[in-house]
Amino acid sequence: MILLHGEVIESNIEQKYLNGLYEDCIKTLSNAEPITAEMVISACDALYRKAMRGEYDEIVLPLLQLSDISYERFQTMAALFSREELEYKCAVELGEDCEMKPLKSGIHRKRYPLGILFHIAAGNVDGLPAYSVIEGLLTGNINILKLPAGDNGLSIKLLSELIRFEPALKDYVYVFDVPSTETETLKKFAEIADGIVVWGGDEAVAAARSMADVQTRIIAWGHKLSFAYVTEQASEEDLYRLALHICETNQVLCSSCQGIFVDTEDWTVLESFGEQFFELLKKANAEKGKADMGMRGRNTIRLYNDLLENHQDRKIFSAEGVSVVIRQDSELELSYLFRNVWIKALPRRKMIETIKKHKNHLQTCGLLCGEAERAELAGLLARAGIVRITGSDMSRMVAGEAHDGTYPLWEYSRIVELDG
Amino acid sequence: MSAANKLFTWKKPYELKKTDTLFLQAMQENVRHHYENSPDYARILDEKGFHPDDLREYDDLRKIPFIPTLYFKRHTMFSVPEKRLLIKATSSGTSGRRSLIGFNGSSLYRGLRMVLSLCKYHRLISLKPVHYIILGYEPARSNPSAITKTTFGQTLFAPALSRDYALKYTKEGYKLDLEDLKQKLIRFSQSKYPVRMTGFPAYTYFLLKQMKEEGICVKLPKGSLMSLGGGWKQFYAEKITKQDFYELAEEVLGIDDQYTVEFFSAVEHPVLYVDCRCHHFHVPVYSRIIIRDVDSLEPVPAGQVGLINLLTPMVDSVPLASVMTDDLGILHDEKCPCGVDSPWLEILGRVGIKDIVTCAAGAQEMLSAKER
Repeated sequence: MILLHGEVIESNIEQKYLNGLYEDCIKTLSNAEPITAEMVISACDALYRKAMRGEYDEIVLPLLQLSDISYERFQTMAALFSREELEYKCAVELGEDCEMKPLKSGIHRKRYPLGILFHIAAGNVDGLPAYSVIEGLLTGNINILKLPAGDNGLSIKLLSELIRFEPALKDYVYVFDVPSTETETLKKFAEIADGIVVWGGDEAVAAARSMADVQTRIIAWGHKLSFAYVTEQASEEDLYRLALHICETNQVLCSSCQGIFVDTEDWTVLESFGEQFFELLKKANAEKGKADMGMRGRNTIRLYNDLLENHQDRKIFSAEGVSVVIRQDSELELSYLFRNVWIKALPRRKMIETIKKHKNHLQTCGLLCGEAERAELAGLLARAGIVRITGSDMSRMVAGEAHDGTYPLWEYSRIVELDG
Repeated sequence: MSAANKLFTWKKPYELKKTDTLFLQAMQENVRHHYENSPDYARILDEKGFHPDDLREYDDLRKIPFIPTLYFKRHTMFSVPEKRLLIKATSSGTSGRRSLIGFNGSSLYRGLRMVLSLCKYHRLISLKPVHYIILGYEPARSNPSAITKTTFGQTLFAPALSRDYALKYTKEGYKLDLEDLKQKLIRFSQSKYPVRMTGFPAYTYFLLKQMKEEGICVKLPKGSLMSLGGGWKQFYAEKITKQDFYELAEEVLGIDDQYTVEFFSAVEHPVLYVDCRCHHFHVPVYSRIIIRDVDSLEPVPAGQVGLINLLTPMVDSVPLASVMTDDLGILHDEKCPCGVDSPWLEILGRVGIKDIVTCAAGAQEMLSAKER
């Protein structure tokens, strides 16, 4: 499917639509009256209200069921499209009323869009590809969206509805259903674009870099790794909440806790902490109900296999489909997921050298410690490259928060200075 | 004659109850042989506190420490000198690690007797020449995967007039050519000789779907057969049921679902499972299956979902006596209309995994890696 000038075309033959694309974009950019953030916000708000009235339930309900998302959670997510949230987002990211004061020497400044954005979306959250385009629209960009494989049609539905509410947006949104293997077509999009917005794992980011011209800006929203940092002053209550977080998110989110670093150099301290946390994890698991059976089976076999392989560097606690593996090294790594955490020693004096090398993979650290040491540890974590330092609720969402340490709206913009 | 050879030359391939004692004897021989000849296997049994002498009665089979297929992907274990291996085969995983399994003369002999006996039982052996359409790889020296060998092996059950492959071997490697197969199918539908289609279910499904979209429907000659092998794993993404598949085959090729035979086997458990006319995989005399609880790994009763543990005394060269998959399945013991009273295995695969979405770095790759 293709979305072109507000029209949905049932075709996967892109070629004939591709040819005129660049000329169309130039024509749009030549227009003296470009779209405004207000137009985008009103259209989104109209969409949001219609969704809240249940008018999209026919499309939404089956999708929610498929991804096991509650209607309440859908409503919270839909609220991201409301006027209130979007205005707040713009104010936080771009400043109140989005105006920039002149510099001392009387030089005027104004924020402009980058121009043309090429979004390479990931399929892991429904609605995210469309949201990426909306961020591009809020900043005034022309957006070309490559749908992720297996897109269920939601993105085109959302965006064509927006255009119905605000027809001026029609020349600013192009959606193509091109498979990732068609590199020639993708390269054409990349050539036209001023910026490539890429969502996905390391492979997707590397692929985007390889197809981009050196002049093209790459804005990568890659996959991340998160962990918890615990000192002996952490309360049992906080640790239990961390265990609940691990069970709730099944460790699949960027912000999910993969493992726990303990501020110690003593193996016996680590061991007794591991045993304590294993009990809490079992309790949280019982409270939340067990994870998917296929995943539990897969992990039970992996842990059984680890035992056969007779590794001397770890101690495994496993029962009821959850596990805690105490390891001797201090490497930050992915866990087995689905309620299987690693626990490693990491004394605070070694924090920066251990964590920093993971650079752009770093995201959240759930810091569980005493009040008096919190500032010191948070400073270390921040200097090591962590961008979100939370308590035990590592996946919390707050309006106005940055995305992986930066504001997308600024990433999609540039500052133009005008003398005199 | 060893108990294993007796078992693999047993006349009726689904007489499970009558072969329980023989199966136990063959397993006793097999486990002892591996214990004495594979130091790694002996270490694992010792660590698990199990000795071959502990295998006294039929119910003790469940106590044999199983080896996960994952272990074979990371460790090569041979219980005979490597020079005595006549064939080496790898699992067909496209990403991740592959298992390397080798077969010596006695293991191959048993495998051959098993295949002949099963194919005779399922009436797959015919003297009438046929055209083969193979939805898989053309054999080549550089492709050691077992599936290539078994699909080629399947083309020996009836004299071959021709063999056409979906994946043709060229100088630049394998190339998918479905157009040629479509033309061949149209031509063969006019022939008086039957067609036998065989290969990966995913390719077969893809071909049939394309033909349907293009409006190509043929009626293949009487006696034509479609056999599918290589696992249903590739299907999960397409979300189709077997029933839809059979209906598609009937519509596009005119092959009745009675003439659609499915095979299932694995490098780490080279017993052949052939579905009956009700499309059930009955357990043949050559193996036993234990379904285990996903958390405790204890056996669960028939009808319950769990991990599939496969047992066979077929192979002397690698300790495959009891292997553990990471797939879910159910062993059914209810009566099957086909008349075979051996229980049948329903493979569920890794339920749920297809729907999992994640943004944790590396997680997608880890979850989607096809390890078989």
